Amino acid sequence: MNPLIFTTILMTVLLGTMIVMMSSHWLMIWIGFEMNLLAIIPILMKKYNPRTMEASTKYFLTQATASMLLMMAIIINLMHSGQWTITKVFNPTASIIMTSALAMKLGLTPFHFWVPEVTQGISLTSGLILLTWQKLAPMSILYQISPSINLNILLTMAVLSILVGGWGGLNQTQLRKIMAYSSIAHMGWMTAVLVYSPTLTMLNMLIYIMMTLTMFMLFIQSSSTTTLSLSHTWNKTPLTTTLILITLLSMGGLPPLSGFMPKWMIIQELTKNSSIILPTLMAIMALLNLYFYMRLTYSTSLTMFPSTNNMKMKWQFETKQITLLPPLIVMSSLLLPLTPMLSILD
Amino acid sequence: MLKIIIPTIMLMPLTWLSKKNMIWINTTTYSLLISLISLSLLNQPSNNSLNFSLMFFSDPLSAPLLVLTTWLLPLMLMASQHHLSKEPLIRKKLYITMLTMLQTFLIMTFTATELISFYILFEATLVPTLIIITRWGNQTERLNAGLYFLFYTLMGSLPLLVALISIQNLTGSLNFLLIQYWNQALPNSWSNIFLWLACMMAFMVKMPLYGLHLWLPKAHVEAPIAGSMVLAAILLKLGGYGMLRITTMLNPQTSFMAYPFLMLSLWGMIMTSSICLRQTDLKSLIAYSSVSHMALVIVAVLIQTPWSYMGATALMIAHGLTSSMLFCLANSNYERTHSRTMILARGLQTLLPLMAAWWLLASLTNLALPPSINLIGELFVVMSSFSWSNITIILMGANITITALYSLYMLITTQRGKYTHHINSIKPSFTRENALMALHMTPLLLLSLNPKIILGFTY
Repeated sequence: MNPLIFTTILMTVLLGTMIVMMSSHWLMIWIGFEMNLLAIIPILMKKYNPRTMEASTKYFLTQATASMLLMMAIIINLMHSGQWTITKVFNPTASIIMTSALAMKLGLTPFHFWVPEVTQGISLTSGLILLTWQKLAPMSILYQISPSINLNILLTMAVLSILVGGWGGLNQTQLRKIMAYSSIAHMGWMTAVLVYSPTLTMLNMLIYIMMTLTMFMLFIQSSSTTTLSLSHTWNKTPLTTTLILITLLSMGGLPPLSGFMPKWMIIQELTKNSSIILPTLMAIMALLNLYFYMRLTYSTSLTMFPSTNNMKMKWQFETKQITLLPPLIVMSSLLLPLTPMLSILD
Repeated sequence: MLKIIIPTIMLMPLTWLSKKNMIWINTTTYSLLISLISLSLLNQPSNNSLNFSLMFFSDPLSAPLLVLTTWLLPLMLMASQHHLSKEPLIRKKLYITMLTMLQTFLIMTFTATELISFYILFEATLVPTLIIITRWGNQTERLNAGLYFLFYTLMGSLPLLVALISIQNLTGSLNFLLIQYWNQALPNSWSNIFLWLACMMAFMVKMPLYGLHLWLPKAHVEAPIAGSMVLAAILLKLGGYGMLRITTMLNPQTSFMAYPFLMLSLWGMIMTSSICLRQTDLKSLIAYSSVSHMALVIVAVLIQTPWSYMGATALMIAHGLTSSMLFCLANSNYERTHSRTMILARGLQTLLPLMAAWWLLASLTNLALPPSINLIGELFVVMSSFSWSNITIILMGANITITALYSLYMLITTQRGKYTHHINSIKPSFTRENALMALHMTPLLLLSLNPKIILGFTY
C-alpha cells in the first residue's frame, strides 16, 4: 500500500479510538467507533485474497451490528435522562443493550464466534492491532459506565468467556486462533472484576496488551503462523525459543512472572467482596489456557521433534529488527515485584 | 537472610561468565561456601524465630530445611557433571542457571514470613523444575511427566491462593510472625470446612498424599539426576513445611477434618511400600519409597502432638538425605548401563566394592536402622500415632517390616550374587561419585550424634 495512504488510515484508527476514549458526548463516542471500524477494514485487508476479504467482512458485520445496538442504547438513555453526557446509564434496558453491544465489540461469550475466524484470516501484524488496540475503546466505555452495569449479565458473560477461551483453544494448532481464544479468556477476566474495581480491569488490560504484543512480535520475527513452523525457531534464532517459553508461561498466569499479577489482584478483589467460589472456578478454568500454552512450549522450546535434514538448514533471510521487543519481553515477565506500586493507581 | 539469597542469585552471573573449564569448579565451590553460611542458622538459642526482618526469618523448623537445601546444590552440580559432559557449553550453563534459580526460590520459600509470598515462591519453584524435567529428561514419557507434575500441583494450589486471601481479609495480615500470637479458633461451619480443605490440598498434593501421588513416580523417574535429587529431597518437604505452618491457623477443625487424610496416609504407606516390592525399575522403587516415607510425615503432621512434630521434622531431613543418596546411586548405575532395570546390573559388589559400601549404608538408613536419624523420625511418629490410637501400631509395624523388605531386596538385587557377564566392562567408580556419596552420608551419620538440631520447634 502507498505509505502515505497507509499512514493516513492508521492515524484514522488511532483517532477513532482517541475520540471514543476522550469524549463526553454519546454521539461522538459512536462516531469514534464508526471511524475506527471503517478505517481498520483496509488494514485488515492489506493482502488482497478471499480469506482476508471473508475475515474483514465478518469483522465489519459484527462490529456494525454492535454499533447499531450501541446507538439504540444511547437513544433509550437519551429518552430516559434527556441528556447526552456520558455518566451512568439511566435505564436498565439501555444498560443491558449497551453491555451486550460492548461485549460484541470485545469478543465476550456469547458473542465470541467472530474472534478466532477473523484473527485467523488476517496477517500477523493486523491480528496484533485487532487483538490489542481494538480492545481499548470498548473497554474504556465499559469503565465509564461500570456503576450501572447489570452484575448478573456481566459475570455470566465473563465466566462463560473464560470457559470458552480455555476449551476452544484446546484443539488449535494455528497460532492466530490460539491467540484469539487467549484473548477471549483474558477479556473474561477483565470484565469479571469491572464492577468491583475498574482499576484492576485497566491493570489487566495493560499487562494483557504487553504480553500479547510480545507474543505477536515473537511470532512475526520467526514468521510463523502454525505450531509446526514455530517449532523450527530453534534453528533460526535459538534465543527466541526461551523468550517464547517465558512469555507463554506469563500468559498462563504462573508466578513469579508478571502475568500472575492481574490474576492475583482480581482474585483478591473478588474475595474481598465475599465471592469465593467464583474466583476459585475462574482460576481453575485458567488452567485450561495453561494447558495449550504448555503444548506450544513443548513443541517450541522444550523438545526437538524429529525433523528431516532439510529443515535443519533453512534459508536465512535478513533478520527482522523489532526494536520494541526486548523491553516488552522484560515488562511482560519481570513485573511481579512491582506489585506494591499498584497503590499509585488509586 | 540476604547473606544467603544474594550470593545464590549471584551464582547465575558466575555461571555465565566462567570459562569453559571452570564452570563446574566455580559453581560447586561457591555453592558449597554458601551452604557453610547457612549452617550458622542452626544455632537457635530459643524457640523464637531468629534473624528476622519483615520479610525473611528462620526458626528451628525452617533452619534444618534451609541447610538441607543449600547443602544439596553442590551435590546436584557434582552429580550432573557426567550426563552434561557432551552438551554444548551454553546448555550446560542453562542447566546450572535453572538449578540456581530453583535454589533461590527454595531458599526464599523456606524463609518467607508472609504467607502470600510463600505461596508465590512455592509456585515459582514449579517453573525451573518443569524445565529441568522436560528439557533434560531422557525418555519420551518426560513430557507427560512434566504436565502431570505441573497440573496436579496447580490444581491443588489455586484454592490455596483463594483461601490465603480470604484469611487475610478475616485476620488482617498473613505475616507468620504476627499470626502465631493472635491466633483465634476457627468456628465450625461448612465454609470453614472448605477453607481447611483449600488450605491443605496444595500441600497434600505436594507431599504427596496416597490418592494424589500419580505425578510423583512419573516426575521422579523421568527427571535427570539433579531433578530427581531436588524433587525427592526438597520439593516434597515444601509440602510438609507448608502443612506444619498452616495447621497452626486451622484449629480446632483439624481434629475431625484430618480423619480421611489420616486413613489415606496410613493405608497408603502400606500400599506404596508393597508396590516397591514389585518394581523392576530402580528409580521407580525409590520414588514409591518416597511416597511411603512422606505418608508417615502426613500422619505425624495431622496428629499435631509435640512428639509427632519432632518426628515429622527429623523424618523430613533424614529422608531428604537418604532419598537423594539413593537416587545418586541409581544414577551411577544408569550412567553405566543406560538402563534403569534393576536386574540388568546385579552383583555389583564384586565389581565396585566401595560403591557397594555406600549402597549398604544407604539401604540401612532407608530402612531406619538405629541410631540413624531416620530411626528417630520414624520412632517418634510411631510412638505418637500409638498414643493417638492404639490400633495404628499394627499398620506402622507392618510398614516398617515392608520397608526393610524392599530396602534389602534392592540392596541384594543390585549388589549381591553373581554379576552378569555383560557388565564386566563398566568403568570403575569415579572419585566424584564417591565424594558425592560421602557428602550425603556424612551429615546423616553426624546428625545421629546430635539430633536435637533437626527436631524442630517442639523440642
